[in-house]
Amino acid sequence: MATTVHKEYVNPVGKSVPRIDGKGIVTGQTKYAFDVSFPNMLIGKMIRSPHPHARILKIDTSRAEKLPGVRAIITAKDTYNIKFGSNEYFFPHTVDQMALESEKVRYVGDEIGAVAAVDQETAEEAVRLVDIQYEVLPHVVDVEEAMKPGAPQIHEALNNIAVILPVNFGNADRALKEADYVREDRFYTPAAHPAALEPHVCVGQWEAFSNKITLWSSSQAPFKCRDALAKTLKMDLNDVRVIKMAVGGGFGGKLEMLPMDFSACLLSKKAGGLPVKICYSREEEFLSSRRKHGMIYTLKSGVKKDGTLLVMTGEVIADGGAYCSYGPTVIAAAIMRIFMVYKIQHFRITGYRVYTNTPISGAMRGFGGVQSGFAIESHMDLLAKGIGMDPVEFRLKNITTPNMVTVNKMVLTTNGLRECIDRAIQAARWKEKYGQQKHLCRGIGIGIAADVMGAKMYKSHESAGSIVKVEEDGSVYLFTGAADTGQGSNTALAQIAAQELGVSYSRIRCKSGDTEITPFDTGSFASRVTFISGNATQRAANDAKRQILSIVAEELKLDAEDLNIVSEEVINTKDHSRIMNFDKALELCYSFNYGRQIIGRGSYNPKTTPVDFRTGEGNVSGSYGFEAQIAEVEVNKETGEVKILKMWDAHDIGKAINPQSVEAQIEGSLAMGIGYTFLENLQFDKQGRPANGNLAHYRLPRSMGMPPMETILIETNDPEGPFGAKGMGEASLLPTSAAIANAIEDAVGVRIKELPITPDKVLKALQEKEQSEKKQTA
Amino acid sequence: MATLIINNQKYELNLKGHETLLEVLRDHLGLTGTKTACEESECGTCTVNRNGKAILSCITLACAVEGEAITTIEGLAKEEILHPLQQAFLDYGAVQCGFCIPGMIMAAKALLDKNPEPTREEIDYALDGNLCRCGGYPKILEAVWQAGREMKKDQELREITEPLELSEALSAKQPQMFL
Repeated sequence: MATTVHKEYVNPVGKSVPRIDGKGIVTGQTKYAFDVSFPNMLIGKMIRSPHPHARILKIDTSRAEKLPGVRAIITAKDTYNIKFGSNEYFFPHTVDQMALESEKVRYVGDEIGAVAAVDQETAEEAVRLVDIQYEVLPHVVDVEEAMKPGAPQIHEALNNIAVILPVNFGNADRALKEADYVREDRFYTPAAHPAALEPHVCVGQWEAFSNKITLWSSSQAPFKCRDALAKTLKMDLNDVRVIKMAVGGGFGGKLEMLPMDFSACLLSKKAGGLPVKICYSREEEFLSSRRKHGMIYTLKSGVKKDGTLLVMTGEVIADGGAYCSYGPTVIAAAIMRIFMVYKIQHFRITGYRVYTNTPISGAMRGFGGVQSGFAIESHMDLLAKGIGMDPVEFRLKNITTPNMVTVNKMVLTTNGLRECIDRAIQAARWKEKYGQQKHLCRGIGIGIAADVMGAKMYKSHESAGSIVKVEEDGSVYLFTGAADTGQGSNTALAQIAAQELGVSYSRIRCKSGDTEITPFDTGSFASRVTFISGNATQRAANDAKRQILSIVAEELKLDAEDLNIVSEEVINTKDHSRIMNFDKALELCYSFNYGRQIIGRGSYNPKTTPVDFRTGEGNVSGSYGFEAQIAEVEVNKETGEVKILKMWDAHDIGKAINPQSVEAQIEGSLAMGIGYTFLENLQFDKQGRPANGNLAHYRLPRSMGMPPMETILIETNDPEGPFGAKGMGEASLLPTSAAIANAIEDAVGVRIKELPITPDKVLKALQEKEQSEKKQTA
Repeated sequence: MATLIINNQKYELNLKGHETLLEVLRDHLGLTGTKTACEESECGTCTVNRNGKAILSCITLACAVEGEAITTIEGLAKEEILHPLQQAFLDYGAVQCGFCIPGMIMAAKALLDKNPEPTREEIDYALDGNLCRCGGYPKILEAVWQAGREMKKDQELREITEPLELSEALSAKQPQMFL
């Protein structure tokens, strides 16, 4: 037997086993796409528009071609001019981006072509030598300006509105009249950036003669990248291989094929098959990857005196930038998450996803939920205050319950929202603190959330596949299409495989996210991997186990149905007697008489109903997760600075496959949420360029700003989940900004409705409050 | 020809004057454990140790560290035995995407070599230049603190052996070690 079996890793589900890829990471051996290098590798560089909006008149590459060291230059004329987009299935009209633009550019940084040369300096010089003539067009940066009649027309969309999403249930007008208290609020959330530490980077290679391409990439969704490459390069899926290396963070920013991925492959072809590496600089990362939508929320809601949330109306305007990317589903998610959280019957919110001449907005961790979380959870506190009700009581009165169907036909089975709230307020001692610490300028605030944990958001199916291969020596391979981007999915899936197969986790090796050798999987997004890929993996491990047991049963003339593998032993489930250990069983499988290879397969597609995005109706996800978060803050009235004293997070994750990884994901969400609340604000200049597009000026949270955090895991055991698990990774980020804003109001009585919450905004609000109080007493 | 001493190993290299230590480590020596996320001293992922101090290899010219003791993430584990920091990062779940981890560990090593019993503030201060976008700070802080405890346990032994090994490698130039 070749494998060292660690007995402590038997029955690994629910245990904080070490990361399967941990040793490689801490010793610097792990290879990221950033580290991929080949002999004779060329360096590629994108040719970008200097104008926010212009027609391309003429491209002359002749001077650049003559530069020594330049090996290939591509522009749109080398392409098939096929558009790509990320919401092709649900919103086909939003497929609006060319791999390389040929007629028009729509933001500073828009890709027109690419150069491959022997080194970085030569490639950069060649880009400068490409002569492009433009007819500069009027442009628009501000999202509300872009919606006005007569604004520059960026695409063929009326008033630059790419998507209008009117979500309407019940009778909102009548309900507003019946309400005892109605209020309207406007919230503003800025653009932000995933800012993964590993930039977008890829190496593309075209195989001469066989006409195949390979892309080594830093991707959250290698199979989606393959789809888009095959489409834009007009190739068969099995001629395109995307190999996901270790990924240095994604956070939504690495979900799509970018023109750089396409260009690396096409440049390699034009350079006769030499590999081409394109690595974004940090400035390019901010300019030309994907950013979070800035959103403007206007909410008008009505409640009854007893605290019943009767109706919510309003509109959401999302600044989409130059192309659609994931925008349509982001705005849908920003509107429809509320139905998982609150039992609301009368609802009318219209979403507008708007083009501007700025960098492209797409997916970012939270997928619209961070913006809506701030707006809605702030608004809920204001509604509770308006009727003199404790915000926790108000929420408890209106939250969704287990086993219910929401107004838009989402089917919630297990629902730990009430328990999340109860446990969080208990841990934070809410009742002692709320409204009681104003003399210390201290306050406490709550935010709650829910999220899809296995949604169909990509194409008609959202399936994942896994293969579990057991070798002669009892060592086990898990092949999964799931793309571990650092969250630890390879570890969690290996735990699931080991648990189901009945063996120690130390037997498992995991290969993931290689489109040529692993089964299909849509990728790491929408907190879907533990649930969807986990189910596929459990099924594959079960299949492998049944194969082993059928051989044992055949040899010993037993009924295979009576056998199981538990803790490394084949047992008879009728009398719990041991039959043989796992290694002996494998010897039998690969013996002279049997010689049957153990290859288990599993596929899983979540049980959902089609979502009609015109109405917002449908059960979008196979599982839903819930969340309550509390922040306690202290405000310095002299400086406007807000210090977080502590945060509590209670999360219904179904079942924690690896509690340590779950905690790390929650803590990381809180860190990112704290960053978005206080620091992160991607701004644009008059040309629509990032005004703070580097790590010196776009400020990320650091260790020093981290408050103590307490995580509380609520295990509701989803009957559909692998060992009861739901997904996680995004929900804890959704209520953070609102919990903090609500705590600030409790502390010093001012309401900040615009992120980020900076000391000057707090000071200004305090001054305004003081003045209005003076007026009242006068 | 310039002599660089990296992880106790001598390298004779033809350096260009403008080449950074980061470029030499990654592009010439294939030591890709050291990363960068900004190339302008904002992220800390390129942190290595120079004579026991944490420095940013992206803004350090390679020729400026000639003959000095450079330690990178690849130089910490001895054969199969992980450095206490590496082991603690595994044990306390401080690893997520891992891109910041080599820099984090090298920044923490410079701290713990001098002060194996740091306070929370001292750890915060030592790691303030190192970004982790996964936001793994609580577990990273815990790992650094726990590693310090481990390192203190066998500090005496290391003080006797390590400088000797280094001085052998540094015969060309009198090193200024552990200032």
